[in-house]
Amino acid sequence: MVTRKRARKSKARKTPAKPKTKPGKKSPESNKAMRLTFSYDGNDVKLVSQKRTEMILPATDSLKGYGTHKGFWAELRSARDKTLYRTVMHNPTKNDAEVFPGTPNEGISRVPAPDRKGVFVVVVPDTDEGEEVILCRSKPATKGPTKGVSALASKPAEEILRLKLKK
Amino acid sequence: MANGEVLGVTKIVDAGPPEQRWNAVIVSEGYRSAEMAQFATDAQNFADALLAAAPFDRLRAAINIYRVDVTSTESGAKDPTKCGGTGAKPKTFFDASFCSNGIRRLLIANNGRVTKVVSKQVPQWHMAFLAVNSPISGGSGGPVATFSKAPGSVEIAIHEMGHTAFGLADEYEYFSGCATDKGHDKHSKSEPSQPNITTNKDRAKVKWRDLILAATPVPTTSNANCANCDPQPSPVAAGTIGLFEGGDYFHCGVYRPEFDCRMRNLNRPFCGVCQQVIVKKLTPFLPH
Repeated sequence: MVTRKRARKSKARKTPAKPKTKPGKKSPESNKAMRLTFSYDGNDVKLVSQKRTEMILPATDSLKGYGTHKGFWAELRSARDKTLYRTVMHNPTKNDAEVFPGTPNEGISRVPAPDRKGVFVVVVPDTDEGEEVILCRSKPATKGPTKGVSALASKPAEEILRLKLKK
Repeated sequence: MANGEVLGVTKIVDAGPPEQRWNAVIVSEGYRSAEMAQFATDAQNFADALLAAAPFDRLRAAINIYRVDVTSTESGAKDPTKCGGTGAKPKTFFDASFCSNGIRRLLIANNGRVTKVVSKQVPQWHMAFLAVNSPISGGSGGPVATFSKAPGSVEIAIHEMGHTAFGLADEYEYFSGCATDKGHDKHSKSEPSQPNITTNKDRAKVKWRDLILAATPVPTTSNANCANCDPQPSPVAAGTIGLFEGGDYFHCGVYRPEFDCRMRNLNRPFCGVCQQVIVKKLTPFLPH
């Protein structure tokens, strides 16, 4: 059964892109996903791996209205640059860290953590229509008391990385 | 050289095939071979606590939980003396250490290694937790929610899951602390992308407008002195959804949906808006 599905999908990929599916709608591909692992070191973000997985994804965040929003998110885009899936993320490339209370009466607080590096994962639907993944992030302030702290970045997010999915 | 080995995976909460459910994975760190039975108990306790928390208590049919048994050569996590720690340097599989960036309670491990192990053991994973076998209080977020065995640490893991799995923002209205903050008086006008904070105080347009009752004033609270956190108690009953000024690390100009929430303080339930977000995200995983 799986083999038949793969064969059908493989055939579809050889034909010119003609949208057949929408994320969230039932389709032969609705439980196919692409797991992307990125590494970050300071502000630099790089793709480390891309792997197909059979799994359902959480419902997409709103596809519209993010033109002036601040924060961090990933999008799956079509060949025509239409957003097909969006996942809003708590900025995984932050240069500060959350510190939790040692006693119940203390609050959570944050501290600068300038040397953070590591990995983060983005999973998007694996559809014929999805061609590219983009990451968007707000830049931190360049002056003032919130200078350089990514958690406090206040400007609308900008595209920081665009990659073509391997088909 | 690995200081331990990956023994395997056990499904400890079974709601169905992993291809069709939301899959959380708990991985052990700093447990020796002889301590794996203890990890099994700790993982089950964590799973029980997670599934008892709203809204997960009503989404049980959508959630699988797995335990990945990884042994370490020695127990615990590194605890450097420069942060007031014991100086312990146990050899552990994921190199977990307190005192990251000089902060003792910042407990961080090699998350790249954790995600690799999890991807191999449960390819369909959505959320990974690293349970560190140490009684010292600590934890951290990111792609892997890391927590120790100190009392209340499960709360850290669930708060971090709010960020990692559901894109929720912090709802506390300060950065380092209400008394020490500088430059946190007023939030920018840019609308945050996260679903549980907003700069919009227009009742008709606010993100969670459908959950605000007509009788609830909007804004529900306003901070009279933006140089500080708002000291006033909630003027409405607990659980009332409205617009409460302060959140996203700023004292003014940004609003949270309830007076309190797990994304603002530990040991609180998720607010109604955060719960709605989680339910919406996990609905595709419920059996049809």
